[in-house]
Formats: sequence, structure tokens, C-alpha cells
Amino acid sequence: MKNLYKNRWILAAFAIILASCGKMDVAPTNQISTESIGNTSDGIINVTNGNYALFKNQVDFNGFVDDNNMYLRQYFQLSDFASDEIVCGQKTEDPLYYSFTYTHSPDQANSRFFWYISYKIANGANTVIEILEEQGTDDNAQKQMLGENYFIRAFVHFNLLKFYSIAYTTGDPSTNLGVIIRNSTSGESQKARATIQETYDFIISDLNKAVEFMNSQRGSEYASKQAAQALLSRVYLNMENNDKTIEYADQVINSGRFALETASSYPGLFASSLSHNETIWAIAFTPVDNRGKFGSIASMLYSDGNSGWGEEFASLPYRNLLAENLNDVRLTYIDTSFNDNGAVRTKNGIEVFYITKFSFQDGDPNLSSPIMFRLAEMYLNKAEAYAKKGDESNALAMVNEIRKKRGLADNLVNSVPSGKTILDVVLDERSRELAFEGFRATDLIRNHRTIKRNYWGYHIAGLTPPDIDLSTSPTGYDNLEIPYDDSRIIYYIPVDEILANELCVQN
Amino acid sequence: MKNFLLFLGLVLISTPLFAQVKGVVYDENNNSLPGVTVVVKGSDKGTVTDVDGVFSLDAAADATLVFSFIGYLSQEAAINDRQHIKVYLTPNVINMEEVIVMGYSNKTKTEVSSAVVVLDNKELTDVTTDDIGSMLQGKVSGVQVVTSSGQPGQSSQIRIRGISTIKPGNEEPLYVVDGIIGGTFDPNDVETLTVLKDAGATGMYGARANKGVIVVTTKTGKTGKTQFNFNSSLGYKVADQGNLSMMNGEEFYGMSQELYRDPETHQIDKIKFYKFYPRELESTNYDWVESAFQPATSQKYYLSASRKTEDFSYYASGNYYKDNGTFRNTGYEKLNLRLNTKFQVNKRVSLRNNISINANRATYYDYMSMYYTYLNLPWDNPFDANGNPVFVDGHTDDWWSRDHINPIHTTDNSEYTSRGTSFDYDFVLDVKIFDWLSFSSSNRLSYGSDKSHTFMSPLAGGTYFGKGYINEMQSTWYGAISTNLLKFNHEFGDHSIDGLIGVEADGGYYEFMSLQGTGLPEGFDVPDVASSEQQIGGFNTTEYFRSFISQLNYNFKKKYFLTASFRIDATSNFPPESRKAYLPSVAASWLVSNESFIMDNVSFINLLKVRASYGITGDPDIGASRYMGLFSLSSNYNGQPAALPYQLPNYGLTWEKTNELNFGLDLGLFNRVNFTMDIYKNVTENLIVLVAQPLSQGFEYRWENAGNVTNNGIELGLSAIVVKTPSLSWELGAVFAKNANVLSGIGSSFYTTVGGVSQVYRDGGEIYTFVLPKWLGVDEQTGAPLWEKINEDGTTEPTSKYADATPQEVGNALPDFVGGFNTTLTWKGLSLYANFAYQYGNDIYNSTRRYMDHDGHEPYYNYMKPADDWVLWTKPGDVATHPSQQNAELSRENSSRFLEDGSFMKLRNVSLSYELPKKWANAAKLNAVTISLRADNVYTWTKYWGQDPEVNLQQADWSMPGVSDFKYPNNKQFVFNIDIKF
Repeated sequence: MKNLYKNRWILAAFAIILASCGKMDVAPTNQISTESIGNTSDGIINVTNGNYALFKNQVDFNGFVDDNNMYLRQYFQLSDFASDEIVCGQKTEDPLYYSFTYTHSPDQANSRFFWYISYKIANGANTVIEILEEQGTDDNAQKQMLGENYFIRAFVHFNLLKFYSIAYTTGDPSTNLGVIIRNSTSGESQKARATIQETYDFIISDLNKAVEFMNSQRGSEYASKQAAQALLSRVYLNMENNDKTIEYADQVINSGRFALETASSYPGLFASSLSHNETIWAIAFTPVDNRGKFGSIASMLYSDGNSGWGEEFASLPYRNLLAENLNDVRLTYIDTSFNDNGAVRTKNGIEVFYITKFSFQDGDPNLSSPIMFRLAEMYLNKAEAYAKKGDESNALAMVNEIRKKRGLADNLVNSVPSGKTILDVVLDERSRELAFEGFRATDLIRNHRTIKRNYWGYHIAGLTPPDIDLSTSPTGYDNLEIPYDDSRIIYYIPVDEILANELCVQN
Repeated sequence: MKNFLLFLGLVLISTPLFAQVKGVVYDENNNSLPGVTVVVKGSDKGTVTDVDGVFSLDAAADATLVFSFIGYLSQEAAINDRQHIKVYLTPNVINMEEVIVMGYSNKTKTEVSSAVVVLDNKELTDVTTDDIGSMLQGKVSGVQVVTSSGQPGQSSQIRIRGISTIKPGNEEPLYVVDGIIGGTFDPNDVETLTVLKDAGATGMYGARANKGVIVVTTKTGKTGKTQFNFNSSLGYKVADQGNLSMMNGEEFYGMSQELYRDPETHQIDKIKFYKFYPRELESTNYDWVESAFQPATSQKYYLSASRKTEDFSYYASGNYYKDNGTFRNTGYEKLNLRLNTKFQVNKRVSLRNNISINANRATYYDYMSMYYTYLNLPWDNPFDANGNPVFVDGHTDDWWSRDHINPIHTTDNSEYTSRGTSFDYDFVLDVKIFDWLSFSSSNRLSYGSDKSHTFMSPLAGGTYFGKGYINEMQSTWYGAISTNLLKFNHEFGDHSIDGLIGVEADGGYYEFMSLQGTGLPEGFDVPDVASSEQQIGGFNTTEYFRSFISQLNYNFKKKYFLTASFRIDATSNFPPESRKAYLPSVAASWLVSNESFIMDNVSFINLLKVRASYGITGDPDIGASRYMGLFSLSSNYNGQPAALPYQLPNYGLTWEKTNELNFGLDLGLFNRVNFTMDIYKNVTENLIVLVAQPLSQGFEYRWENAGNVTNNGIELGLSAIVVKTPSLSWELGAVFAKNANVLSGIGSSFYTTVGGVSQVYRDGGEIYTFVLPKWLGVDEQTGAPLWEKINEDGTTEPTSKYADATPQEVGNALPDFVGGFNTTLTWKGLSLYANFAYQYGNDIYNSTRRYMDHDGHEPYYNYMKPADDWVLWTKPGDVATHPSQQNAELSRENSSRFLEDGSFMKLRNVSLSYELPKKWANAAKLNAVTISLRADNVYTWTKYWGQDPEVNLQQADWSMPGVSDFKYPNNKQFVFNIDIKF
């Protein structure tokens, strides 16, 4: 007992330690729990910002952040490398190559990431929509948030249709498969694809709400009523609903918020899109968002020698289209590279004509804030709609509205040239104006045109540099022409989705 | 009264019954043995022999002395009025009284009822490395060690008894240093290392023991006289490229012509080829690999001092290790200081203070530099006329290699370094309250810090040319753990009982900070000078762990043993409802050889023991907050905070637990042969898994408990002294372990995918099973690649369209069995040792072949030299392994084509050592001098056509087990070592 007494302090300490259970709850320091988003003053704003950020961020996928993996980079590459405005100057192990060659596979990383990140944005949008719809709000700022998120949800679904579904105008949209509609954060994890018609209906319904709710103007970095109307115009154009296309384009044009750039201001548009009046909505990149050689959109299209890979160039047909008029200020976005001898530099036998629509914000070759919607598209949407309505004069008027502002005031198109249709004229002008901005392949496919790539480039399987004779056109090769109804015209649903979602049907 | 006591004391001290006894202890070869414990039987009075094997102590003339020393039979000697005693100790192959350190409690070998393996310092440090894993390879049955990188300072991966968890994160066993969970140590300071394999042993570590436990005990003072030990190594090493070598200029010139084979005539169109590829290229030959790798040296200096007296002992050591890398500008250096002290405050109270300080600096490489070193063409010269690396960029017109990057120039103009420090302080208080009850409080404070520095000079080609780049990251870890135990023991008759009960509290705080920027002036590499694109980052996390611990041991007549333990663990990593885990274990053994029917009748059996154990262990290593639905705030849009969908919630997430059942047998024969066998069945339930979600959810996966894995295995260990004479001995050792696993209860299968390579988890399947399109070779008629397409009716057909190929199970990253063997031949002071390690039956996905065996898809990347059995299709009718370059669409996409047999056997280490004769050493006033020559990674036998078949086993969301990417090759090393004791 005496010993016990002597050691009482040890036993007391022991008892205290034994009795203490201690603190066990730990909250993360750089993350917010999903449940508390609606409870903080800025949770909704932060998530909405996050949805915009996901267009420009390099997001962890398959366990690491691959610099390639950015929504916009994949968006432009999956669109335009499969088209006829950009030529491939080099074979590469980067899956971007499969867009040139149309050798897609379900496991190609760029398409898998694009699918994933699109739905991640939808999840963020759904989070905000669910919170605000449940709370109900009369507050204008909150309504604006709600509208922006409806817009964002519609936008990502529409772009998914572009890559994973055949055109609305091809076959029966009420039976052809669209994409999986994700309009809730709590739905079943396995879900089947909706039809194309259902997907379009969903998008239009979201956009109508977006138009209704958005009544504030936060700058062209953010969505707005006009951005939703512009997307509606684009959506209806793809559905070939000409009247609605014109109606919504007019609402944007008549809003008075925007103006076409002039011949003198146009060359500066893409390097500072956010401060130009033509921009309806652009994704803001700040200097810290510079994705450099490995991740910027520009890095495949332009290089100062070190800034990028500079492996894909303006194609011969596109250059020919612009070269019809050397006054065309759109030529300023093509930068010819010369070697030490003063000749046009070649890469693997292909002439190097860099594309600079994604460069030179703050003078940096890899920095730009890519434009998602701009006013010129509205005129050209109208032009196509009028052309299809058979209203040749209005179609030409719209084309000329653009040409006037691009240094071609003296070269207006006053009649349809012989051998061409009014739709040819419109599509050519759309190409001149909207080149490299993700339009061309969709324009051709929607209008059941063949994608013609009868020029030298590494889209041709098995091509080697000595094969290239720039004084002739390649003949006898596969892959030179891709018909609009070719089964390869769309991408495979990513293998991850097929494995984890038994209801999802492969393309 | 006081005076009387003093008087009595004087009388007692001066009584003639007590006298000083002196003596010397020798080993079987007549060498004196320092460090032998000498105790007066029946008392706690004792001493240890000094460096000359000499001891002296006071003892009654009729007392008996007990001599004990690790590795020797303990021996008693009656004093019988003698004043000088000579004692010869006999080495004991099976030392039943050897104390095995098992963490919370120590046990003698007699008492152990579980599967444990003990290695001492000598058995570990035959390989010259700083990495404990490399030292273990091939030496312990059931322990698989993979050294997947030759980067100096890189740790190897250790897996005990297969894979019991499939979640990403830490899969390494739990380390327990000096009785306290966690901690740091230098391999040179290790006295013993105990691998705990079954629940009978690991059960005491309960919730963290799922992956096995390695208990490390560092050295303490042993002898009465201060003993110094100096050990130094000098090494020379070269990169071991294994079966990988790249083509030279001439070979690549030949191979490049394949792209110019006419699809119709199947002849090479040489005219066309020469038009683009000048003839002089054929004789142009620059070896990028040889330029980037060079032989390197390593050095180690270790000095320790130790001493033990009755009330104080210490061990102090310093160790400096410097390892230069074989890849340009890589290396590692480390300084370790340790001070272990123990005060015997009085008869009842002792204090132990251990301090371990570590500082290291590593220089790493950039992945892309390794990549280009292998892939750049032999037609480009890395150096200019002055021997300096040449600068190239996208507008360098006279350059063949694809990406216009000179990795050597980049390496010379960039820095990838990290600096680490760690500090551990252990404070252990032992109080003997009664003879039968003691209290022990073990506490550790730890601090660790790592800082990485990444710098690209404005001179380096690439995206930061002209502006430079700097990134620094600092992570800091503060930890505290306190274990407080009451231990008791009691004997009555033939029964002996002991046990412990206590609590443990553990907490850690981790802090991370990063910054980066560009726009650096030339020649400066600190963040201060960055002028643009500055970014900051940082966060912190906290973890808490609480445990209740108890254990009860019982034995009857030292023949029947029973151990039972029970733990309750709680961790902050799980949601409040499922934080606690209840983890019991029980183990029993029967020491048959202590039965009289063996002892009396079968003299050649020294040891026969049968063991059985069962217990439940867990694994909480998932990181904080995995159960919550989260949005990440570490991003911005337009300069404003942005929240990104980060994690799906699962508030039902809970512990995964392993039920471990083990049966073991230990057998010792003729005092020469030791045999151990264990069979086990481990069932891990509620596996924590990142279950893949449809990507259209917007999330790749969700943390879930899904399914079970059962690991069945058998482990064999054998050691034998084949020859034993005073001057010659030959010892052999071998270990073998076979493990098989099967998954169950998973329901719908799920996949992990990294870099397009998938592994499946399904009921009845095995962990780390590759799912890939199955490669069927090359179409004999067309030269096109062929994959297998499985139709809906189950029939199969070959297809040349990759998208139609069916992903299917094609191989597995885990070996069927692993093991090793060693042999030691000793003749007088000369000793020759060799150690082999092997594994068999695993598949490796040779991902690098997608780039260096590219079928012409990358005309400006070099090829690896083909294996003997590779055949390129050149004309119809060819039976080929490689497709026609004219018809190879998607041929290098992921498929079983690149899945190879990863079995290997490796001569891990050969060493020849010589201990100088004692008299020479003594003449130089030294106790012992040993010099040795060693060779590490001498040779590898394997069919694997790549760098090295030791391939990553780490399961993480960025790394897939069994996939080999561009990596830092392992090294062959030749080492001179000298060890001096004085």
C-alpha cells in the first residue's frame, strides 16, 4: 500500500490519460463540404466560379494532372484537328493525332478527359441549381447565378452532342442516341443516353430558364442573357430551325451590348478578347493560368521556337480561301515562319504557317482568353439561316456585314458567283471568319458536306516526308475525304463510361 | 538506529563471504568475447565483459555466475572460491532464450507463439545502401521487396504476405522504432529488426497492422569499457540497363527504312529513302544514354561509441552517407546522429532518452529528361565542338530528334533538389511499482520537414526559355505519441502469467506550403527574384488516433503458451459513427521439445514447436475526410475563389479489417538445422476501394467499402550449418513464400485505370489483374496487328481494328512465389557470402515499349534493340511479332502485346570479407578489423525485355502496380568496406 501511495502520481496520470477521449473531428482546410455550400455567403458564387474555372483548369484525371487535360484545349483540338482548316505537321503519340487521322479509340485520353470534365462542370452547375431552386429566391444576384448555371449546364451538354452524337440533321433525332443527361447530383450513377431530340429539348429548356433568370451584366468573362440567346441561336442553327436561329441572333445583335470589330481593331481581338466589344462570352485566363508549352491551346499551333510544339498549321485550302483578298485582315492570324535562308520553314515537309488566334494576351505566346461566343457568329448564323430559307439577299447582306469590318469593304459579295450556291458563299465566309474556333467540322457535317483534305499532311496514313511534293496535290491516299455520314465522324464513348455504366451504349 | 544501519552496512561490505571475482569469456575459437552479460544467479547484480572479454564483480564465494550473450548458449559457472574464472561459450544456433523485441512487450523465443523473423545488424548490412528494404530483399520468407528506381535515396517497396489492401496510399508495413510506433532510424544503428507476420504478433498493433509490422531496435551500450566502431565504405557503380539498349546510328538508319517499304511490292524504296535520309547518317552515331549516364561513386562513414555501467548506458553514433547518381546531376547525401541513453535512477525507476536527428539532401531528375535520353536519335550530337551541351529549340533546323530538346542541356540548366530534416525524441519511463507490477510510459515527439526546389534557368530550352521558372514546396510534420502501460506478471507453481493494459494517444499535424513564379534574371534561383506569374499554395491536415491496449500471456511448465490481446482503436479518418474498431487476437503454441518424451528420447531434436494464431487487424491509412462530399477551393476564376467538385460523399465508410489465421512449425535439428514453416489464411473484409464511377457522374470514383480479399500462403525458412570446424564453416539459408489471393463479395466488377491501362476487381478474380485487349500477333497475309474480339455469343475472332478488340483479363502483376537464398563460407578470418533473391510468375506491363518499340509511329524516336525472337513483318507469309510499318494502325495502343513475364532471379550481393588476425589488430591497439569487397546487383536472370524487372508495386491514383514506365535504372555497385572496432 505504501508503494501504491508513493506512486500515486503515476497512477493518477495514468487514470487521466485513460479517461480522456480527446478531440477526433477534423475538417479539411482547403475544401468546403457539399452540404455547407448553401450556408455560406459566397458558396454559390465560388461554385459558379468553379464551373467557369473547369473550362480552363488542368484537372486531375486518372490520378495526376496531365498538362494536356484542359476542357478548352480538348474542345478545340477534337473539333478543328478533325477538319480542313488545320494541317498536321507531325505524327505524334498525343491522342490529338487521332482527330487528324480519324483513328479514334474508346481509350484515347483527350476524349475521355473531355467527357469527364464536361460532366464535372454539369455536376457543379447541378449543385448550384439544386440549392437555389430549393431555397427559391427573388434576389437578382442569386437569380443571375441560377441563370448562369442553367446556361453552363446547357453549354456542356451541347458540346458533348457535338463530339459523341451524329448531327441532328442526319437521320431521325428522335431515335438516334444523344448523350447522357445529367440534371441532378443525386440521380442513379448508371444512366442511359437520351435521344438526340431529348437532349436538344433539355438544352433548350435550360437555356430558356437561363434567359429568364439572367438580368445582370457581369462582364464578358461570365455568361449573360445574350450568351444564352447566342447559344440558342447556335442550337437552332444545328437543328435547322431557321426562324428561331434568326430570332435569337437578332436578340443578341439588338441588345446593343456588342459591336463588330473594325478592320483596325480586329487584329487585336483575340489577344485581348475581354476588352473588345465583339466578345459575348470568353473564358478568362489570367497570367497565372498560363498553361505553357505542355498545356496551352496555342502550343500546338504556334511556337517562338521554345514556347510551344508548333506542329499544326493553317491548311492550304484555308490559306487559299483567305488569299482571295490580300486586304483581308483575317490573314493577320496566320504567321508564316521563315528559316535562316528566308524561305518558308518546313516541318517534315509541311510548310509552317502558324495560327495565332490563341496567343499574345499580355504579349505571351501561350496566353489568351478564348472566345466562346462573339457577335460575328450571330450575323453568320443568320446568313446560313437566310440561305436555307432561300432568302439570298439577306444572306448576302449578313456576309457583307462581316466583310465590311474585315478590310473587304471594297470586295463585297453582291451576287452568288457562278458554280457556287448561296450556302457555299455563307460556309466559306463562316470558315474565313470562324476558323480554328471549333465551327468548321460541325458546319460541314450539319450541311451534309464532305470534309475534304486533299492536301499534304500527316492525316494521310503512312506519309513520309519524301512523298510530299508541294507542287502537286496528294492523290490515291486514304483519308483524304471524310463523308458527313462516315461512322468515324464522331468519337467513341470513353471506355471508362462503358465499363462502369452498363446502360450506356457505345457509338 | 541510523548508526546501526551504517554499521551493519560496513559489516556486510567487509564480510569475507563476498570477494571480487575476475574472469575472461571466450568463444569457441578461443577469441575473447566482449559484451557478455555476467549475472550473479538469483540476484540483480551483474556486469558485462569489456573489449577483452574480461569481467570483474563482487560475489559470494559460493555463488553461481550466469553468462549470456546473443547467439550463444547461456552458461552457468559456480565460483567455488575461485578468483579467476575462464568460461567458454558455445554458439547456439537455436537460442531459445534470445529475447525477441515485439514492440509493446518482449518475449523469449520459447514464449513466442507467432510468426516472427529476427534479423541482426550483420544480416542486414551486407548490402551497401541507405534503404532498409533493399537490405531485407530475399532474406525473410513472405516479404517481397521491390526496388523500382535507382535514384539515390529512393526507398524500395515492401509487401508482407501479399496485398491485403487495395486502396491507394501507403501500403508499406508499420514501423515501430524502439517500442514506439513510427520513428526514424539509420540502418547502421539497427541492433535487431523483427518482422511480425501473423496476427498473433501484429494483433498488438491492431488497427494499423494489416500490412505487417517491422519492429526496429537501435543499439545500446553493451560493455563496461567504451567501445568504438568505425565503418566506412567506398563504392563504384554503373547503371544497370538490364536488357534495354537503344539502337546506334547504323541500326536506326536500317530500321528507319522500314517506313519506306512499298505496300505493293514489299521492297524498300531506297531512292525515296535516301532523298530524305542522307547516307552519312548511317555512320553518324551519338550515344545519348552513355552521355547522360556515367559511373558514380558512393561513400559511407559511420562512427559510434557506446558504454554500459550499472546505472548508465549510452550509444552515440554519427553516420554520413553520400551517393552520387549514375544519371547526370543526381545524388543523395545524408547525415544521421543518434544518442541513446538509459539512466537507472534507482532500483525501481529507469529513464530512457533516445534522440535521432537526420538531415538529407537529394538531387532528382526530370521525367522528361529521362524520356528524351532514351528516345533522342543517335544522329544528333548532344555536345558542341567544345564539349558543352548544345542548345536546341523548335527552330533549330538541323536536328533529327522529334521534340528538339536536348535533355543534357536541360539537366545542366535546371535543378530538382529536396532537403529533408527529421528529429525524433523518445522519452521512456519505466517504474517498477511492485515486483509484479510495473508502469511504462513511452513517448515520442517528432518533427519532420521536407523542402523541394525546382528551378529552370532562363537558358534552358523549352517553355521557360528566356524567363526561367522556380517552384518551392515545403511540408512539415509534427507528431506526438504517448503509450502508457501497466504491466504485470505472476508465477504460481508451474503456471506463469503476465500481461499489460494501457492506452495510447497519437496525433499529427501536417503543413504544406508552395510557391512558384517565372521571370527570373539569369543566374539567380531564389523565389525572391521571380517577377511574374507568382502563385502560392498551402494547406494543413490533422489526424488523431486513440487506442486501448491489453494483452495477457500464460504458460504452463514452459511447454504450453497462450497469448491473447484486445485493442480498441479510433481514428479521425472515419465518420463519427464508424470511428472505432474492436480488434482481438489469440495465439497458442506447444513447445513439444520441452516434453520429456522428446528431451529424454530424441536428442537430435533441439526444438520442436507448433503454433497457431488468430486475430483481427485493420488499416486506417486513407487520409482525412475521405467520407465527406467536398468541393475544393484551391482554384480561381478571373482572380476570384473557385470551388470545384472534388469528392462524392460516403458517410457509411468504415474500417477494413483482416481476419488472420496462422499455423506454424519450428524445428531445430542437431543444433545445426533450423526449419520454419507457416501457413496462413488472411481474409480482409470491407476492403476500402476507389470504386470507379461512370465518368458522366463528374467523378472518377467514390471511396467505398466493397468486397473482401483472401490471401492464402505458405512460407518456408531453412538455415543450416553444413560444415562447422574451428577454422572452416559453411552455412546455407533459404526462404520461400507462396501467396495466392482471391476477391469475393464485390458484386459488380470495378476497374482502376492509369494511363489507359486497366486492372479489374471482380468476384473470383485476383488483385492487380490486367484487363487489356488481347494481342494475337500479326496477320501473316497483311502484316496488320491482330487483337482478339469476343463476340456476344462467346466465340472469338481476330480483328485488326483496335476499337473492336475486347479488353479481357490477360495477366497479373503479383508473383506466384518469392524468396531468396544465401550461402556463407568462412575459413578462419576469411568469409565469402552470396545472396540471391527471386520472384516468379508476375507480369509486367512494359509501357516504355509503346515509345521505343513504336512500329514506325514515331519516325523521330529511337528504337530499342529487338529481342532475339522479335520478327518484323515484311512480306505476305511472314510469321512475325511486329506488324508491317505500312499497316500498323494503332498497333502500339495498350494491349497484352506489351505485357511480359516479370520473373527474375537476381544475384543481389556477393561479398568477400577478411577479419584481420586478432594479434595484428591488437598490435595496432584495435580490437577487430574487417575489410571486405562486395558487389551488389551482380547479375539478373530474366526474360523481361526492359530496364530491370523490379517494377513498381505502388497502388495510387497516379501509379499502377506492375506497370513499368521510363525510370531511373538500378545500379550495379562494387564496394570496399572497412570495419574497425577499438
